[in-house]
Order: sequence, then C-alpha cells, then structure tokens
Amino acid sequence: MDFSPVQLNAQQQSVRDEIVAVLDDLVDDELLDRMHRNGDVSDNEFVRKLAKHRLSLPRWPVERGGRALDETLVRVLENELDRRRAPRDINSNIWGAAEQHGSPELHDEVRPKLLRGEARLCLGYTESESGSDIAGAKLRAVKDGDDWVLNGSKIFTTGAEAADYVFLLTRTDPDAPKHRGLTMFLAPLKTPGVEIQAIRTFGGERTNAVYFTDVRIADRYRLGAVNDGWTVLRGPLDKEHDFGQKSHSLKEPFGMWVIRRSPLEHAFEDALKWAKETVLEDGSRPIDDPVVRTRLGRIATDIEFALCTDGPLGRVAAADVMTAASAELVDLIGPRALLPKGAPGAIERGDIEYAHRFAQGNATYMGTVEVFRQMIAQHVLGLPRPHMGRAK
Amino acid sequence: MDRFELRHNDFSLDEEQEAISSAARALLRNESPPRVVRAAEPMGYDAHLWTQLRDFGAVSIGVPARSGGAGGSFIDLMLVAEQVGAFTAPVPMISQAVVARLLVETGQPELLAGVLSGERPIALAPDSLDRPQLVPDAALVRDIIGLDRNGLMLLSLSEAPAHAPNQGNTPLAWVEPKGDRRLLVDGERAAQLHAQALTEWRLLMAAALVGLTDSALWSGVEFAKTRETMGVSIGSLQGVSFQLADVAIAVGGARNLVRKAAWMHEHMRGVRPELAAMAFATANRVATEGCYTAVHVQGGLGFTVEADVSLFFLRAKGWGALMGDPAREYEHVGDVLAARGRDDLTCGHTRQPIAVGARE
Repeated sequence: MDFSPVQLNAQQQSVRDEIVAVLDDLVDDELLDRMHRNGDVSDNEFVRKLAKHRLSLPRWPVERGGRALDETLVRVLENELDRRRAPRDINSNIWGAAEQHGSPELHDEVRPKLLRGEARLCLGYTESESGSDIAGAKLRAVKDGDDWVLNGSKIFTTGAEAADYVFLLTRTDPDAPKHRGLTMFLAPLKTPGVEIQAIRTFGGERTNAVYFTDVRIADRYRLGAVNDGWTVLRGPLDKEHDFGQKSHSLKEPFGMWVIRRSPLEHAFEDALKWAKETVLEDGSRPIDDPVVRTRLGRIATDIEFALCTDGPLGRVAAADVMTAASAELVDLIGPRALLPKGAPGAIERGDIEYAHRFAQGNATYMGTVEVFRQMIAQHVLGLPRPHMGRAK
Repeated sequence: MDRFELRHNDFSLDEEQEAISSAARALLRNESPPRVVRAAEPMGYDAHLWTQLRDFGAVSIGVPARSGGAGGSFIDLMLVAEQVGAFTAPVPMISQAVVARLLVETGQPELLAGVLSGERPIALAPDSLDRPQLVPDAALVRDIIGLDRNGLMLLSLSEAPAHAPNQGNTPLAWVEPKGDRRLLVDGERAAQLHAQALTEWRLLMAAALVGLTDSALWSGVEFAKTRETMGVSIGSLQGVSFQLADVAIAVGGARNLVRKAAWMHEHMRGVRPELAAMAFATANRVATEGCYTAVHVQGGLGFTVEADVSLFFLRAKGWGALMGDPAREYEHVGDVLAARGRDDLTCGHTRQPIAVGARE
C-alpha cells in the first residue's frame, strides 16, 4: 500500500517543467474549439507539434528518435494533457502491437512518419453486424498474388477521417473457428476503394463507417501470421480492458479507465465551483444548503469509489458512476447545466453538459459494460459460460 | 491543491500485511464457522473465541509497544477487522481496538491494560452521555466512555446493562445517563478524541463490512454454480451472473477505498479527512446491496435461517447501522469540500491539509 505523493528527482522535475511549458504553449482555446467542432478526440496538428518536442510516442527509445520517458513521466504527461482537456495522442496505444508483429518494411514506412507526427493510426475492430463481439468480424481479406484484397465494412472507426492507417481486423478463413480465421493488418487508409462516411454521436464525437470495396494492399501491411490475428489483437485489447493489471501503482501501465473517468471529474469540479460561487436570491450559496452538500458528497464518494476500483471491475464502475453522477449533476444544477460550452449562462466550459452526453457512449465503446460483466462473472467469479438460447 | 498531482496508487499488501491478513483468516476460518456464530446468538459474543483473537493481537496490534501493545499499525487492525467481518465473528474486536487506541491518547494506562487483557472491557458511546442511548457492545461491559458537557468521561455502572436483543445479534444495550463519572479529558481535545475514535470505528467497521459482503458474495456464487433451473446452471444466466458481477465490482472497489482511507489515516492524517466517511458510506451501501443480492440469488432457500447467507445479511445492517446514517457521511464529505479554498476545487486528490473540523 502506498498513496504518498510521487517525488520527482531533479531530472524528472526538469522534464516535467518542460512538459508543462510545451503544453502551456500548445494548448489554447483555438485548439480546443477546433476539437469541439470536429468532434475529434485527437488533433493531427497538435500531435505534429507534440512530436517536435518528442512527446508523441513518449516511451520510444532515444535511439529511435523517441524520448524514453519512464512511467512516472508518462503519467505526468497524461495528467498535464488531461488538466488542459488537450487532444489525445492515440498512436502510441496502437503502434505497440503493430511494431511487435509488423514487417521491417512496415516499420520503415510508418515509424518515421509517426516520429514526425505525420501519420495517425485508428482502430478498425467493430462491424455493424457483430458489435462488441469483435471476433465475429466478417470483413474479408483474400490473398491475390503478393497482395491482399479487402471487401466489407467497419463501423465506429473513430478518427478514420483524419487517420492514415487503420489497425484492421479481417476474416481470412471463413471456415475456421471464429477466433482462428482472423488476420490483422495495419492498412493504409488513403487507398482506392476506401470510403469513409461520418457518423455523429450525441456525445459530440464524430465517428465513421468505413467501406472497403476491392481495396488492394501489399502483404507488408499484414501483422503477425495469417489466421493468427487474434494473438495480435489480444495484446492491445487486454491493455484496453485493463486485464492483467493488478493495481494502478506507477509500476503498471497507464489504464484506459483514467481517460474514461476524467470527463466526470472535470464536470464535478465545475459543479463544486458553481455551488461555491453562485449567489442565490437570499444571498446564500448552493453549497450552504445541506441537501446540496450531501448530494455533492455522495457524488464525490462515488467518484472516489470508481477511482479505487481496479482493472475490468473499474471499467464497469467508472462507466456506471459516470452515467449516474453526470445525470445527478444536471438535476442538481437545473437547466443551466444543459447549456453548451460558450452559451450565455453556461456552467464554466460546459463540462457537465458534455459529461452527461459522453457518459452514454462511455458505457459502450471499447466493449460494452455487459461484456465486462460477463468477463467478471466467468473469470473473476468462475461462473459457467452463459447460455445462448440453448436452454432446454 | 491539485487533483492532477501525481500520487502512488498502490493497494497491494506487503509481505507482513499479507501474513497478518492470512493468519487472521486462517484462525477465524477454524474458530468462527457458522456453527460458532449461531451458538453465540442472540448476544453475539463467544468468550473463548474472543480470548483467542485477543491473544492473536486483534486489539494490541493497534497499540504502540511503549503503551503495552504489540506496536502494529491501524492498517493491521483494518486487515484483521476485514476477516472478523468475513466470518461474522461474535467478538467486540472493533470497539475494543478503538477504545484501546483512545486510551493511549488520553493517557490512562490502567484502563488501557484492562482493555488489552480483556479483564475490563470498555464500550464507546457514540452520542452524548446525557441521554439514554443504544451503545454497541455495552452488554459486555460495566464501563462506557462517552462525551458529556464536561468532556470525555468514563461512566462506570454497578453491573453490565441488559442486552437489547436485536436483528444483528450484537451485544447492544441501553445505557442510561446515570452512574459514576470520571473525567478523562476536558476541553476541545475531548470532542476531538471522541470524533477520532468514531472515525476509527467507522473505518474498521467499513473493513468488516467489506469482508462480510465478500463472504456473502461467494456464498451466492457457490449456490449459483450448483443450482440448476430448467436444465441449466443458474450461474450461466446473465440475470443472475450480472448481479453477482456487480457485487464483485462493489466489493473490489470498496475494499480498495477502505485501504486507501486507512493508509491515509495512518500515514498522512488530515490530508484527505473525507476518505474515512467515503469508505464507511461506501462499505455500508455495498453491504446492503451485496447481501441482498447474495440472499436473493439463493431464492427461497436464501431466506431461511438455515442458510449461512442469512448470517451475513442480518449483520450487514445489524453492524452497519450502529454508528448512524451513511447520508450523514455524505454530508460530512460535502462539508470538507465546502471548506476547501476556492483554488482547491477538487473531488479529492488533494494533499493539502485542511482545518481539522469537529468530526476529527
């Protein structure tokens, strides 16, 4: 057990100071407005600028042009990005598996671009037929000479409109058992036959449907062995699901759950500010009312509970708490909490209004919470596999 | 202060803590099976078990060696309390551990010695000693520590108050505001020490409720694995398994929250004073919801007194309700948030000490 503040050594402190200075410089209202307008979680221009300071792909070794930041400093970077509501640099989450399983030719092509912040990666798992059951992917990849020909579609391919490569799950053997007929690619998106259609969510994000019609890509874009795509996918997927993560001590990789909870923390911060700074008709402030204090105390408690919940358990806790608490914050504050960022009378930067919408997607994307409940039932509690309509 | 501040977030037990936790578990598994728990009803007290647990150090590890204790930490007490809950052990461990630590603070070595040896147990009254009240574990004692307008008092009775049989099968008793009173501490410090003792009581109770709910959960899981309906195991039905998964999530999060609160109480007291209230309110909620689920998945059988899960269900409330309404804990969290400075708008990562309030 240890919950003490992390003491940075002199060298870490100087990197921290540099991170703070760089982000103070790079993150401004113009950038945040652009993200808001585009409904994008990342921003190519921002990542390019970040890369100039070698802060994109921060873990990369120095000899490959990276910064080799230790986990403490990666966490510092994440915190400082989060504090500023800055765009996410999602490349590093995806490139790990691509690098591990990709050919030398693929490394040569993609790595320098990533290093300069000139390429963006996105995830292509989900299909409209199969949803969270990603191993049910049907998008076909057929070998034709030295190339592969892709036909089919992906959905919820967030960031595809701004991306250069998609970490793509395909079906290469339709006759093999579900998990054994899959092959992964890091497929170039700017290729004839790829069509990207925008899908808007009420969470404010833009996502996409991506259609592949006779898309021809070279074999060097393949990751891992043919029909062994599930192995390639498992690494990043487990990381995304926080499996194998015993605790959130600094020794552990940064969990995706932190990203999931931050919109609610921003919203709560705004609600507290509202409660302390709003002057009501009788001269009192909302926080002077014990009902308000009790409700805020309850929400703060639930946030702390979610924060303390580990791994896949924490995935569900964070989603559930965000759903309930963001709605409660709207109830507490009333119609002003419904006003979007920038509107007259809006609460701060509209983070409460946003969190209430974001929470609904948060409970679904990267695997719906029901998928996690099933994993917990089977793998934590040891309950039998579910019956899929075969009950007598 | 800064909610983006970098803190360690390590919930794991070190070797020594692991050893204490598993030794307590092993002892209670042998010595406090459901048969022993039932035999101790309705009082909820087993003298033999209590002697064994005291010998194990269930009170003394919370007391410094120079005061006659074993010199462990509050965290060690928290780990033992979790196992006391896991086996619904009929012992006054929480009240005695808390009172012993209080007596270290007040500087009454002779009273402390009586609590450590078990020869003169002392109960702690949560409310003012000026009115009749139900006091936890009071049916086992002749001495009660509590507050009145003069300060922190020791109320001594000619005999132990009569047991008030109750749903939770604990040694609850009505304590009347009469008997010999001896002043232990006066002034502001009296209320502070009393509040601190109640905070420790709530933290240890939170740990016990986590252990209790965890045991209830596994009772529900074992039932769901073996029980069949219409040819399938009920554990394979998501209407059942998802409810149990939710309890697993609740227990996992509550356990970590209690650990964090206990660690801060031990090592950085006053830095996150709201954590203890958060831990108690959460453990209470989790016990209420989790034990309902654990009973309910066992259907009509879970509702019978023969079902071991009934032991957990009845104590979830029977223990949890002893120190007041959890909504008051939420209000207290709100008070702490309200008291923080304008630049300190945080939901709790701060390390800035705040003014110590009436609660502690």
